[in-house]
Amino acid sequence: MNQFFSLIEEKFVPFFAKVGSQKHLAAVRDGFISLVPLAIAGSFAVLLNQLPIDAYKNFMGSVFGDSWTSFGGNIWWGTFAIISIFLSFTVSYFLAKSYNANGLSAGLISLSSFFILMPQVNPDGAWGNIHWGYTNAMGMFVAIIVSLISTELFVKLSKADFLVIKMPEGVPPAVSRSFAALFPGMIVLAVASLVMILFTSFETNLFSVVVKYVAMPLTNVADSLGSALLIVFMTHFLWFFGLHGSNIIGGVVEPILLPLLTKNMELVEAGKSAFSSDLHVVTKPFLDAFVYLGGAGTTLALLIAILAVSKRKQLREVGKLGVAPGLFNINEPVIFGMPIVLNPVLFVPFILAPLVLTIVAYTAISLGLVPHTIAMIPWTTPPVIGGALATGSWQGGVLAAFNLVLAIVIYIPFIFIADRSELKKENA
Amino acid sequence: MVKILLVCSAGMSTSMLVKRMQDAALEEGFQAEIQAVAESEATKINDISILMLGPQVRYLKSKFKSLEDSGIPVTVIDTVKYGTMNGKAVLADAKALLKI
Repeated sequence: MNQFFSLIEEKFVPFFAKVGSQKHLAAVRDGFISLVPLAIAGSFAVLLNQLPIDAYKNFMGSVFGDSWTSFGGNIWWGTFAIISIFLSFTVSYFLAKSYNANGLSAGLISLSSFFILMPQVNPDGAWGNIHWGYTNAMGMFVAIIVSLISTELFVKLSKADFLVIKMPEGVPPAVSRSFAALFPGMIVLAVASLVMILFTSFETNLFSVVVKYVAMPLTNVADSLGSALLIVFMTHFLWFFGLHGSNIIGGVVEPILLPLLTKNMELVEAGKSAFSSDLHVVTKPFLDAFVYLGGAGTTLALLIAILAVSKRKQLREVGKLGVAPGLFNINEPVIFGMPIVLNPVLFVPFILAPLVLTIVAYTAISLGLVPHTIAMIPWTTPPVIGGALATGSWQGGVLAAFNLVLAIVIYIPFIFIADRSELKKENA
Repeated sequence: MVKILLVCSAGMSTSMLVKRMQDAALEEGFQAEIQAVAESEATKINDISILMLGPQVRYLKSKFKSLEDSGIPVTVIDTVKYGTMNGKAVLADAKALLKI
């Protein structure tokens, strides 16, 4: 077993280390992470409108009139309906920063390129009228592609000396900085405009091409039990080697999962029930609320299992130290303190428990026992509360609690095994 | 003033360790500014004495190569000391690297 682990440590870990520090993936991930506060604000606005309690809806309607939902609706419009616009800035900002280039200039140029490439929807062909179908989650892949390419181009051009206008001595530094980005920025926007003309000449646009060939296929594949299990397995496999699993695969997973959640929100905003099978099961809050209870590996369950059955003092110490941060899904003290990292006994439940919970939660939602996730929750939301908030229902809380108990049951036998092998060592 | 910067994925778990390192520094009467930040915020750093990475983001070491080249130590925190949130030991490691 140890040989097997060291083989993986030598062969696979360096590869994933590279993935985790890859500039473009990191920029996409950080671009998404910086939108989380907006996504959470938008989610609560959607929840406010969608609480499935008739008495509440009637009350709100009678107090504030029939248009009471416009309060939440406005916030949804300012967040999720235009989320790709933000993304076209943030991804570019982080990519430019990783090259030590000017993040603000790069972000603005990317944002501008994004709008240049956006089709006009005015029926008489005049300027104006942006369709939010291009700025909501459907436009996210275009936003990512545009920001990565425009920023690469901008950063490369900014390094070409002959394109940067040099200012004489005595010109305030801020002025020379604003000119430094001038030519490279103009060239990027010119390229974007030419690309737009090219697409138009084929009577299509970048958005419909990307949605058809990238976004739709990915979305269809992503919303399945298989892909949920793959994401959960990869996250925990990496954590087992002490690598931040969600951080490493975030650059790939975040862009695939967020559109599924926003689609759910749009469907419930349009009057669909959160139980409807038109909604997607697999989303980021799905994993946060029902699988990562106490952090990756459902370690809150491990801590409870330790405090319940372990006789080893050292283990109980780790358990006590881990509970408070664990309630907010922070579990590095457990992962490194137990340790779980490279621990052959805990390898099995650490990977098995989250996979089982994924299957249970997927099944419960697919069968219509629990509503789909319709809200982004902070990943630090305590377990069970997270389940209720993410689904806007008590059933979500019950499912999270059920999963927590299930994980405790899975962990308990392994605590016994670990205790026994340690005691044997001590006696020997 | 010695400035110690800790970096992890979201800056959450390292902030727990920072608290304990600060306590340890206070006890020893050692003047130091100790902080934790998220990886994405750690793009333009200067004016620090040492950078310490959480073991779960040890793959980021290459990202801070330019810092290392300029003579600022970049190190990965020992997993056991990290897991047990042993602020005193991590502070001692930092001091050893800074040769204080």
